[in-house]
Amino acid sequence: MAELKYAFYTGCSAKGVAPELYNSTKLVAEKLGMELIELEAATCCGAGAVQEKDEFLALTINARNLALAEELGLDLLTICNTCTLMLREAKFKLDNDPELKDAVNQVLKEAGLEYKGTSEVTHFLWEVIDGVGLDKLKEMVVRPLKDFNIAPFYGCHIIRPPYLIGYEDPDNPKSIEMIIEAIGGNPVDHTARLACCGFHSFWSAEDKVTLKLTAMDAQSAKEEKADFMVTPCPLCHTQLDAMQEEAEERIGINIGMPVLHLPQMIGLAIGLKPKELGLEKHVISTKEIIQKVA
Amino acid sequence: MEKFKLKVFRYDPTRDTEPYYKTYELPVEKGMTVLAALFKAKEEQDPTISFRYNCRAAICGSCAMRINGHATLACKVQITHLLDKYQTDTITVEPIGNVKPLKDLIYDMDWLVDKLKRIKPWFIPKEKPPVDGTEYRQDPYDHHRIDFASDCILCASCMSDCNALKANKDFLGPMVHSKAYRFAADTRDGAKKERIEAVLEDLNLEWCVRCMECTTRCPKEVQPYENIIRLRIMAAEEGYKTPGEIHAEIFEQDIYNRGLLNEMLLPMRQEGILGAIKRAPFGIKMMLKGKVNYADFFGGHKIKRLEEVQKIYKAAKEKEKEVKIKLPQIMGVIYEDKRKTRKRVNYAETGGNE
Ligand code: SF4
Ligand code: SF4
Ligand code: FES
Repeated sequence: MAELKYAFYTGCSAKGVAPELYNSTKLVAEKLGMELIELEAATCCGAGAVQEKDEFLALTINARNLALAEELGLDLLTICNTCTLMLREAKFKLDNDPELKDAVNQVLKEAGLEYKGTSEVTHFLWEVIDGVGLDKLKEMVVRPLKDFNIAPFYGCHIIRPPYLIGYEDPDNPKSIEMIIEAIGGNPVDHTARLACCGFHSFWSAEDKVTLKLTAMDAQSAKEEKADFMVTPCPLCHTQLDAMQEEAEERIGINIGMPVLHLPQMIGLAIGLKPKELGLEKHVISTKEIIQKVA
Repeated sequence: MEKFKLKVFRYDPTRDTEPYYKTYELPVEKGMTVLAALFKAKEEQDPTISFRYNCRAAICGSCAMRINGHATLACKVQITHLLDKYQTDTITVEPIGNVKPLKDLIYDMDWLVDKLKRIKPWFIPKEKPPVDGTEYRQDPYDHHRIDFASDCILCASCMSDCNALKANKDFLGPMVHSKAYRFAADTRDGAKKERIEAVLEDLNLEWCVRCMECTTRCPKEVQPYENIIRLRIMAAEEGYKTPGEIHAEIFEQDIYNRGLLNEMLLPMRQEGILGAIKRAPFGIKMMLKGKVNYADFFGGHKIKRLEEVQKIYKAAKEKEKEVKIKLPQIMGVIYEDKRKTRKRVNYAETGGNE
């Protein structure tokens, strides 16, 4: 098996509003035998915002982020869907346009850096499957989540657009279900499995679009009697967990659907304690989950 | 598999109070498209099935429908491919989503046409035609900016699966916004301002949630999502100060000053002091849950090697004036299942050179 060593790109959320993601990722990765070398000099990926104001700048800062992983000779591992997409988009543009790559490298030279294109951009979700392997994961399960109906919520930027992501079929992805099954849980099929949480239009269409989507998504998991939702993206998490109560208010319904980060769910199954994984840090109570695994 | 089931959405408002599904069993034939299967069912089993089609060659856009939950052109996708993709013996066909079904697979197009009219989806020349009778000329790079957008066949597959439209039918939608971009970005067009103002009305252009369904669905690689973003860039360049533009500025400043976004101070910077007051209860809730990095209130920590970023930032701002970014062509870069094909590189052996 290839060495499970990665340049770890945390993104802003895990360093800000989702500290439990940062901590649980590190703990779980270590248990799974993944070595994460944190890119402490990496910047924000631009999250689509910088990209729409200043495309060249966004490309350049991400070329630098990629160059930092190249310095280590490692693939760059993210824990956020949008970071994954932004970094892969930059890589796609640079690798397919030699003139653009040259222009970007002229800028990077100012800081003694160069983008070569040698590192891949990957996500924790994919590496649990491709790197660690589901067989090994199964072997490590000490607390199978057999009493849980778990609703996967992929989040857009880990499946779409396929020309930039391409990891699995965007119409019928299976990776999260594969992990849920490996840890003994029951994946729940629900209508919002591949839907959008609404996060990215929050500041301009909070009432008109965002919160309606958030409510529809959490409700769809509830209708299928899920015990919790799980997502590989901290932005989806923030939207579905922290904004769920606001969304409920707008729609006038009670949902109360807990939402776990992917590493938290895996962590529970491989024996880590709910507290170590930061389960108490969620806005929608995870008390019932904690009681069930106790 | 010798036979498959074609499960068809049926609805005749003159007879049915509710839509229902009717299933037809058909032989699996090599090369048979969904449209061909519908014809076979109609000709041999049930002449009452209604659907729209015209070119049968993925050109006219009239056969768009939802197939196993995702919009596409019925004349473009093959039965064998779908059975394999979904590992099933059933193919479900429904009218496209987000619009009103009229009869079986036929949906109400007037609603879409009304939306389109708002952005004047036709060429409004800036100048009189050349006197020598030749065509309007355009620089190849300028043409490249609208090349993919011009391929739209108005099939509405993108509208069908749009998440923003699902939440709010007042959203103009990817087809309409993308079409607005196609004309507004045309250097020969004389109604750029008018078109931008039409999409900015009620901040409509900013309702898009960046879910990328539209680009994923589009059978012609028009890149509707990307065109929406290009339109937003144009609006900012024209000086419209939208929440999106303010958001982007905050990100840029934070990348320059500290490397990472300061999420704690974001609401105040985005919406001003009133916004901060409005968000205070939410902030307190997050604090109580331990989701707050208190250092962020005082600027927060900075990334390592920040001076590198600042140098690059300034140099990029200078350089970008001369860079012409080509729109990436996504044609041919189709979905590839990397999960099944990916080979992991052993960096320990290659030293990072592979
Ligand atoms: S990216 Fe925007 S326009 Fe496209 S489908 Fe999603 S919400 Fe709709
Ligand atoms: S952008 Fe693509 S999917 Fe949308 S209407 Fe045009 S051709 Fe169809
Ligand atoms: S019949 Fe014309 S696009 Fe399918």
